[in-house]
Amino acid sequence: MRTIDEVLKSKINGMHYGNRLLLPFCAEILKVSIEDDLIMDFSTEQDDAEYNINDEFTEIYFHKYKSLEEVVTKYEVIKMIVVDSKNDLFNFDDHRKISIDILPNHIAEIKEIEDDQIFID
Amino acid sequence: MLKKIIYLFLFFSVGTPLFASAEDGAKLIEYWYIVLPFVVLLLMIATGPLFYHHFWERHYPKVAIALGSVTVLFYLIVLHDTHSLVHTLAEYLSFIALLSSLFVASGGILIKVDRKATPALNVLILLFGSVISNVIGTTGASMLLIRPFIKINKDRIKPYHIVFFIFSVSNIGGALTPIGDPPLFLGFLRGVEFFWVIQHVWYIWAPTLLVVLGIFFVIDSLNKLGSNSESEYTGKIQFKGLKNIWFLAIIIISVFLDPGVVSWIPSLSPMPFGIREIIMFSVVYFSYKKADQEALRGNEFDFEPIREVAYLFAGLFATMIPALQLIAYEANIFGDELDAGLFFWATGSLSAFLDNAPTYLNFLSAEMGKFAMDVNDKSEVLLFEIEHPIYLQAISVAAVFFGAMSYIGNAPNFMVKSISERAGIQMPSFFGFMIKYSIPILLPIFILVWWIFFYGNG
Repeated sequence: MRTIDEVLKSKINGMHYGNRLLLPFCAEILKVSIEDDLIMDFSTEQDDAEYNINDEFTEIYFHKYKSLEEVVTKYEVIKMIVVDSKNDLFNFDDHRKISIDILPNHIAEIKEIEDDQIFID
Repeated sequence: MLKKIIYLFLFFSVGTPLFASAEDGAKLIEYWYIVLPFVVLLLMIATGPLFYHHFWERHYPKVAIALGSVTVLFYLIVLHDTHSLVHTLAEYLSFIALLSSLFVASGGILIKVDRKATPALNVLILLFGSVISNVIGTTGASMLLIRPFIKINKDRIKPYHIVFFIFSVSNIGGALTPIGDPPLFLGFLRGVEFFWVIQHVWYIWAPTLLVVLGIFFVIDSLNKLGSNSESEYTGKIQFKGLKNIWFLAIIIISVFLDPGVVSWIPSLSPMPFGIREIIMFSVVYFSYKKADQEALRGNEFDFEPIREVAYLFAGLFATMIPALQLIAYEANIFGDELDAGLFFWATGSLSAFLDNAPTYLNFLSAEMGKFAMDVNDKSEVLLFEIEHPIYLQAISVAAVFFGAMSYIGNAPNFMVKSISERAGIQMPSFFGFMIKYSIPILLPIFILVWWIFFYGNG
């Protein structure tokens, strides 16, 4: 199982298929910003999004959208606050801010949030 | 009965008449139901993003165009009136040319501020934003400043920071020039002189803004969040995409390139656009093509907000043709009962929830109808601003100021909310914004404005 650090360091990409985003690490997801939506409620009460942590990857379904490629345009990204499954969820120092570019051919490029891209925990 | 209710709604919610001239209004009386597309569209704009946003986000272009087409077909087939349609199309093109060029040109400029926020610095930024919103529009100023404002406050940001930004930069600030806020630009297109607004509104604008910023300063001074932050600041202010300043300058200069303002500017009539619109649409293309990629990325630039404005206003401009004409007609009849204070509250209460641009135009039509003047005649608009300035002052101030009362009062409000949420800030809900902020803070200030400047006048 890869860690977030390994993924960022080795520039390993995730994937997207329709409204499904696959991240090549196992992590708890605390906050997601996509388009005009700020999602923090991943419970079954809400139909905006849900995520599952599998053995080797984490998958997120954005139910509101049919295709991430149509929604996230050239200069936009999906922003997230995630915590590696191995780390302490309750330690704010372990909270990582990442951005995901939705590229053609199902590629989801994962990067640390850049200085210009503000995302408050 | 239904007919009376609709008239009443239009009169007090839209400003009153549906037709720009009383004569046209009289002709329309028997077809009163043609205002229904306008009413439906306004209600859907107000309720769509709140109560059925999935449907609205997907289908608003079709809704706006379909409702607009009903009115257009009615004018073509039933009234055989192409003049009103061409006139409205020209006005729409001018309007969307200005908004889209300001949006794209300012979206290509990125300001990076690496300083520690203090209440005084925040007030200075809000004041600066309020002033420049009169030069680059509330949309342009909001786009330019909201990210640096969030960035410098990142260790202490709370929703009230964004709310006061919406109050000042996105709304009240832009009350001084026709570039500032869309309603005033519509007034300019109808014949209100460019500098009339600043001459007649500055002494209402200045104290109102100072009170709002004073309240912000007190609240922000009580915010101790981030006071122990270990973040280090270089104090640097950096700009990216500054070449777009030239595009902004071109837009501002081109506002005056109207054959009615500058005699040597050729008219392209019968085309529904002029040199000004060609320049502005060219700016949209070139400022985007030549934009600094890093600035666009830093601003997370997206055409969707301006696309939404373009579609919705296409529908609004078309459907409000009969509304403007009927309002003028009704105001002719009920004019004696209406004073400037009433127009202030009527324009304001509607601008808070409906789009303030068509609301302003409808009430301008109503006010002029009261004095048997026609809003479609530029010389009569000029005469009106000279003979009855208090009325024009009342609707100008109300349309701009009250746009801050809710998220849907003015186009930049939703844009600022959206950018803030993309930055991870949990903003208050639609009703939370009003109950916690706009009603307790702004409403008492606006009551004072009414009492001091408009009560018993006109």
